[in-house]
Amino acid sequence: MSATRDRPDGCGPVGADVVSRPVVESRTFGEWTLVSIDAPTVASVARPGQFVMLAVPGAVFALRRPLSIHRVRGDRIALLIERRGAGTRRLADMAAGAQVELSGPLGNGFDIGSSGSALLVAGGVGVAPLQFLADELRARRIPSWTFVGLRGETHLPLLAALDLPAQTVATEDGALGIHGTVVDALEASPASAAAVEKGAVVYGCGPLPMLFALRDWASVHGLTGYGSLEAHMACGTGACHGCVVATTRGYLRVCADGPVLPLEIIGEAIVTAGGAR
Amino acid sequence: MTGGPDLRVRLGALELAHPVINASGTYDVLAVAGEHGLGAVPFSCYVPKTVTPEPRPGNPPPRITETPSGIINAIGLENPGIEAFIADLPRLAGLPVPVVISVGGARPADYLTVVGRMEERLADAGAGPLPPIPGYELNVSCPNVAAGGLSIGADPEALYELVSAARPLTARLLIAKLTPNVTDIVAPARAAAEAGADAVSLVNTFKALVLDPASLRPFLGNRTGGLCGPAIRPIALRMVAEVAMSVDLPLIGMGGVTSGLEALEMIACGATAVAVGAATLADPRAPQRILEELRAELAARRLAGLDDVRGKALRDS
Repeated sequence: MSATRDRPDGCGPVGADVVSRPVVESRTFGEWTLVSIDAPTVASVARPGQFVMLAVPGAVFALRRPLSIHRVRGDRIALLIERRGAGTRRLADMAAGAQVELSGPLGNGFDIGSSGSALLVAGGVGVAPLQFLADELRARRIPSWTFVGLRGETHLPLLAALDLPAQTVATEDGALGIHGTVVDALEASPASAAAVEKGAVVYGCGPLPMLFALRDWASVHGLTGYGSLEAHMACGTGACHGCVVATTRGYLRVCADGPVLPLEIIGEAIVTAGGAR
Repeated sequence: MTGGPDLRVRLGALELAHPVINASGTYDVLAVAGEHGLGAVPFSCYVPKTVTPEPRPGNPPPRITETPSGIINAIGLENPGIEAFIADLPRLAGLPVPVVISVGGARPADYLTVVGRMEERLADAGAGPLPPIPGYELNVSCPNVAAGGLSIGADPEALYELVSAARPLTARLLIAKLTPNVTDIVAPARAAAEAGADAVSLVNTFKALVLDPASLRPFLGNRTGGLCGPAIRPIALRMVAEVAMSVDLPLIGMGGVTSGLEALEMIACGATAVAVGAATLADPRAPQRILEELRAELAARRLAGLDDVRGKALRDS
């Protein structure tokens, strides 16, 4: 499997075409819905960390929504959709038999080539791409530990959608597992000590403040890794520069330069000649 | 005649195969060429992202979000600067359509620097292949930069000065892209025409504000942004009509066009070409669909070409 799916001439991502595919299954877990789509082409080439752009069904005018590929099973891809606004609600409401217009796979996935062992760290629905990664790591027999941070009681149904190895849960309200953030859990848990011991590669996905904390935690413990970012997107293919994130290399596009970036380059702000901005 | 209605249009000396072009900054031919190469560009003319003399990092994120029937953005003219832009231009050499360079800056001299530098490169035949570059669009209307941008486009005198200064630098097409953030859109259009512009394009985005619902603070990193999409289309249409009635120049109409019928409405209000932006962001197939729908609209109305409909909305009957 190649490290990048960009064409050798540097011309853009493969997968930008829009295809219409059927939803084959939909299962709801609290605020989250796991939607399975029959999409053989996407399923055959997708790598963990990549995403698809989904058109919002029935919308008069709407930007497409970027969604990480949560799982690949045969010809099907599964997407874990959190109901956040009108667009994601419409997507989560798609029933089996509905047609969905999608492009993908897009973006760059996780680099798993060099992992002797892996530490997967998710914040909320950030767990979506890490399930696909965990499946791939399991197939390659790479030992993995998983940490999932949830806000609290109302977020617990999400766990029923997951099938993760050596899973430690943290909740901010203490409803389950370690009381605190997912990075608090890394500090407190013997599982993360084992991962540090083994020099595991860190794979994180979640909101930016969580990724900042994870970056700092990994740095303190001498681990390297990757973060998968989320952002409001428009084109999804690198054209509009709308979805950028600050990094030590300047602003990078989450859709085309990411969504997976080395953890250590993800920054709070870029530094220019005029100072931080 | 075979093959249906004649969709060719003429912007000054530039003949285009059809009227649908891209709005600058909403489409990157290299970013989307992956599957099909450069040949698949759906526009009759390609306008890259605005280029300035020096590299610009752009605005801090978040930069874009959806609004009711629209999109608000504050990219902030992120671009690699004219030298890197020129170094990259040979990658567009196989493009089957002409490239109009979108020019920006923080002060009038910046625009002249970019046009002057492009002219130097275009005159240097030994420097390698380039796509056909028939002209420039002066982006005097970006609402998301601290200096320059719409401060020039909203001031007819400043715009007159800029276009007058740019005019002797090039024999190529000079287009002024107007901002709608003015009380009277005709005044800057007239100033551009009197200073020697070959065409005007309108409208750029409307300065606007969205809040983060949780914090009740501005959502965008730049605080304000520019609104585009169907939400602004009736206002854009009115402004295109006003300019068409007052200024004798070809117009590139834009603002929320998402269908062939809406493109035809722009043309009925006096536009020669129609730029598509938000629609492409929402659906990459939109430009091709708009063109096909436009062709079908003309055929259904038994019109041989666009000249039969251009300006129809402006006449008494």
